[in-house]
Amino acid sequence: MSGLDWGVLVGTIAFIVLYGVWKTRKAQHMSGYLRADNTERWWMMGLSIMATQASAITFLSTPGQAFDDGMRFIQFYFGLPLAMVVLSITAIPIYYRLKVFTAYEYLESRFNLKTRSLAAFLFLLQRGLSTGITIYAPAIILSTILGWNLTATILFIGVVVTFYTVVGGTKAVSQTQRLQMAVMLGGMLAAAVVVVRLLPDGVGFSEAMTVAGTSGKLNLVDLSFNPDDRYNLWSGLIGGFFLALSYFGTDQSQVGRYLGGETIAQSRLGLLMNGLVKVPMQFLILLVGVLVFVFYQFYQPPLYFNQQQASSVTTSEGAPAWQNLEAQSQRIFQEKKEATLALVQAHRENNQAGEEQASQRIRQAEEKRKEVRQQAQALVKTHNQGTDLKDTDYVFLTFVTQQLPKGLVGLLLAVVLCAAMGSTASAFNSLASTTVVDVYKRTVNTKASDEHYVRASRWFTVGWGGVSIFFALFASQLENLIQAVNILGSLFYGTILGIFIAAFYFQKLKGNAVFWAAVGTQVIIFLLYEYTTIAYLWYNLIGTLLVVGIGFLLRPFLREQA
Amino acid sequence: MTKGDIDPPPFFKSWTSMYWLVLGVLAAFILLFYLITEAYK
Repeated sequence: MSGLDWGVLVGTIAFIVLYGVWKTRKAQHMSGYLRADNTERWWMMGLSIMATQASAITFLSTPGQAFDDGMRFIQFYFGLPLAMVVLSITAIPIYYRLKVFTAYEYLESRFNLKTRSLAAFLFLLQRGLSTGITIYAPAIILSTILGWNLTATILFIGVVVTFYTVVGGTKAVSQTQRLQMAVMLGGMLAAAVVVVRLLPDGVGFSEAMTVAGTSGKLNLVDLSFNPDDRYNLWSGLIGGFFLALSYFGTDQSQVGRYLGGETIAQSRLGLLMNGLVKVPMQFLILLVGVLVFVFYQFYQPPLYFNQQQASSVTTSEGAPAWQNLEAQSQRIFQEKKEATLALVQAHRENNQAGEEQASQRIRQAEEKRKEVRQQAQALVKTHNQGTDLKDTDYVFLTFVTQQLPKGLVGLLLAVVLCAAMGSTASAFNSLASTTVVDVYKRTVNTKASDEHYVRASRWFTVGWGGVSIFFALFASQLENLIQAVNILGSLFYGTILGIFIAAFYFQKLKGNAVFWAAVGTQVIIFLLYEYTTIAYLWYNLIGTLLVVGIGFLLRPFLREQA
Repeated sequence: MTKGDIDPPPFFKSWTSMYWLVLGVLAAFILLFYLITEAYK
């Protein structure tokens, strides 16, 4: 990495952190520390909500996913705007009326303490475990590609985020996130423009889209209904709607962003801004991935993007087989490049027969490329037992570090670090506020002063920061655990959403019925995960229906407090 | 708190119009993406 890149990277991160700390340095009371004194404007909340959801993996995995699988992942976000509208109408007025610090506080006033505690516990378990991965996932990719020390990268992200979140609480999270979002969007826009400029002479955006379309990468909407398929219009609209409803309506890392609004109207606008901007933003990120794919149709890509894992083959007895695959890959690349250039030429001449002929050659070459790549993956797998083999996560950063001009590399790395820091800060802040408000203040130390709870919030932020850093440091030895935590997280959302849906819309349901329905639902979800192949997006809908359904079934048999 | 306590949104007389804007933009994006998918199939 050049001096200019280091300058851009360090300068961007340092400016954002120092700005956030300086703006929020004054001592605060609990409402200020956990709810930003209700001073946030809609656009600040909108940016904060988006920065919380956009983790570093969004900017590393998503372009890689488009590179590999096309743009169909966009459908995952189709339910999000619908959820923003529903939450604006229902959840926000309720949270504001009760002046809650956390979403779970509301559950006690509606149901009982144990239902509040159950929801808070599920959140702490899920978010507490996954935040370590939010730090670890980008750190491992950055350290592999750039040769950075993994431990130092994890410590840097974890300690810096803990520092400014402890100092300024929710306000610091929000102040830094708006700058982080500006860097992220600006960086990705710049990347999109530069990728097109890096394409060979005579290949512009229009030709790039033709090449991408021929290779099946512009598969944005799939109307077929298949519950086992993760990404189609229906799973996106229905499953994505329930997932977004759960994430934005009941996950404190998001609820905490919009509880700090000046008014109900400001919070609503913040959520609706997210609903308007999220889909085009994801489109941009996926488009960058597709453009990187097109770039690699003209310039030879590596056989396998995770060079560290590939080197475990090239330095073993598998080296001759690997060299053979690389030679095959180069031959296929040349075939495909010639066909792609023929396609571009035919497209420019408006020669449909030529386009069709070239497309067929591209598709044949692509089939051969996939075959060789599968063999390479199998070879890597035999030499990297038990590790994550998704090398698509390495596509974008490999492209950035090898192809982009000086200065832009630093900016794109700042994008990744900003995303990691923004989502981690929200997680630390929400974990601390839930621990203080729903556990410490509610059951351990109920009558302390406001200053005491602010101090406790700071210490809990430090504590959760420490837990997450510790988990991230040891995650490299526990690859299987990482996958387990990711899956576990997606299994809780339906149950938590079911509790809140019961609270918002089913006045006849009371605390005991909902509590036991939630416990039963969680068991059923685990069983469904173990014994069926249902795509995980559907668990949100199933969990919600089960909590409400079982709640009504149990209602006649359980005694409720008056 | 009553309905009147909530400020109206900018540019619109009611929140309902604002919600329709969000849903309309979503529908427009889905239609655009569908047309792109079909055009490049």
